[in-house]
Amino acid sequence: MTSIKEQLRNEPNYIPVKKSKKKIIGSIIYYIVGITLSLLFIFPLLYMVSASTKTPEADAFSAGTIMMFLPDFSNITHIFDNYAVIFGEYGVWKYALNSFAYAAIVIVFNIIVNGLAGYVLAKFDFPGKGFFNFIILFLIVVPVETSIIPLYSIAKQILGLKGNLSVLAVVLPSIISVFNIFLFTQFFSSIPKEYEEAMHIDGASRLRVFFDLILPTSKPIVATTAVFTFIGVWNDYIWPSMVLPNAGDDSWPLLPIQAALNSIRSIENITNGEIMASLVVTSIPIFVLYAAAQKYIVKGFGTAGLKM
Amino acid sequence: MVLALLLILLVLLAIFAANFVRDLIYRYKHQKSTKKYHKQEVITALLLLLPAVILGFLFVLLPIFFSLGYAFTDFDLLKPNDINFVGFDNFKTLFTELFNKGDIFYALRNTALFVVMVVPLQIGIALLLALFCNNKRRGTTIFKVCFFAPVAISLSVTAFLWLTLLSPNPAGIMNSILGSFGIPPQDFLGNKDTVMLWMVLISAWQGCGYQMLIFLSALGNIRKDLYEAARVDGANVFQRFFTVTVPGLRPTLLYIIITVFIGACRVMIQPMLLTGYVDRSMTLSYYMYTQGFTYRHVGYSCAVALILTIVIGTITLLQRKFLGEKK
Repeated sequence: MTSIKEQLRNEPNYIPVKKSKKKIIGSIIYYIVGITLSLLFIFPLLYMVSASTKTPEADAFSAGTIMMFLPDFSNITHIFDNYAVIFGEYGVWKYALNSFAYAAIVIVFNIIVNGLAGYVLAKFDFPGKGFFNFIILFLIVVPVETSIIPLYSIAKQILGLKGNLSVLAVVLPSIISVFNIFLFTQFFSSIPKEYEEAMHIDGASRLRVFFDLILPTSKPIVATTAVFTFIGVWNDYIWPSMVLPNAGDDSWPLLPIQAALNSIRSIENITNGEIMASLVVTSIPIFVLYAAAQKYIVKGFGTAGLKM
Repeated sequence: MVLALLLILLVLLAIFAANFVRDLIYRYKHQKSTKKYHKQEVITALLLLLPAVILGFLFVLLPIFFSLGYAFTDFDLLKPNDINFVGFDNFKTLFTELFNKGDIFYALRNTALFVVMVVPLQIGIALLLALFCNNKRRGTTIFKVCFFAPVAISLSVTAFLWLTLLSPNPAGIMNSILGSFGIPPQDFLGNKDTVMLWMVLISAWQGCGYQMLIFLSALGNIRKDLYEAARVDGANVFQRFFTVTVPGLRPTLLYIIITVFIGACRVMIQPMLLTGYVDRSMTLSYYMYTQGFTYRHVGYSCAVALILTIVIGTITLLQRKFLGEKK
């Protein structure tokens, strides 16, 4: 196998294109600037990861040297010791599992509830439709300043979501998303009516049409919504730490991992390496998601422009 | 409180019923031109909307209405059954506090400082990074990944990470880096002159990768022949930037300015986790949260929220008016 370049070189009238000196120098400068900028952006993350592998002694020893940003190679067999401690002793995996559970529940119900609303607004003909469309547009356009305190009073005092029911207070408000209804309505409108009518003739119910036709044909928008919902729920800090009881002596705490970070940090005698390890654990799922779902995230940026 | 809930529910239902009847009458009058409603379809539609309507009412509309209403009461979170209407008292307290340099004065000053610094800085860096990555050289993808990496980290992780990096301890990370240049150890977050600067730097560091990606997709949409034409006309790099790139980016730029501005006005978690509730770094959102949640003065907190909404809404409208829709 020869590459295209080599084939070209073997052509009889091949004239090599010489890069001018100016261009080469330009390239070198470009890469030097690029690498410097990149390091400037990721050095905190490099520190976080490398410190998570170190014992307190190694951490103190590396301070002020370039070793701050490199893992502790001299101690390579014990690189995951801090992780073992936070998982084993401090039970960080429980918080992580909580976060996954909250995210999974919110994603499923978010897509069903907002998807159904979008489906109705896109495809159904009923009196009073204008009223709903107006409310949705209003809520999207007007920047309502955080109503988190009244929301707290509604969840706790009117709905009485206390104790173990607090879990519902975490999940329920994240399920409704006006912006997602808007997105779904836009997207579902473009599905041709003929498909739906064909299914009606076959005797399918409206719900059947939604689950068997509308959702499967809208995979890109559903995936994008799922990805952004996951990021939103996983990264939420303030709301769960408000409504959930603090991790006390319960055998199974209810806090998701972000909100738990605060109490993990204040555990007695916790080392810097262990704190950094828990920060890494908290960040990994999001990094994996960004890497795996790039396509949908870029699409999300396209739809972000709609939010005006 | 439950009474207020029922009242709001009734009013919304009445508005909906009015709309419902109006639509019905409209269709009835224009029967020939448009088709009729099917009873079965209308019932299914309303049933399928029900979950979204219930959740939306409880968790989106109701908090907004309550926030508006509470602003005129002395609602205390611990005394939910003793709510009194107090008129504009909360707003009076708010402005007296402001002029007597109470906490809200510092909150307002810090928020204004933060917004004024972070909006141009973050957008400027994002635009520069986007222009830097917007070519076909090898390796730009790696640069993009590096610039975007901080976006993937949550606000709380960012705060805890920088808390370690900016430790006032001489052996702290940032201090030991500065130390190697001969700069004495600093108390970055404890010093009232530098704390807001670091908040701005951390926020810009964390946020600009996101705006960079939006800029990049907008740059990709600018027609290449425009650049060619400008080049043929003899325009240099800067002229090409101002005559082709800037007009091409205008709608994106407006969108980014508005979203970054609104986000900056809401900044809360960074001061909360980096310094706590102190004069030198508290922001309006954080002030509102502390008043409402920690001190339980919900009424007062909602009054602050109302003022904040009006200010942000007005500035956003002005931005849209002056920056947008110019062709």
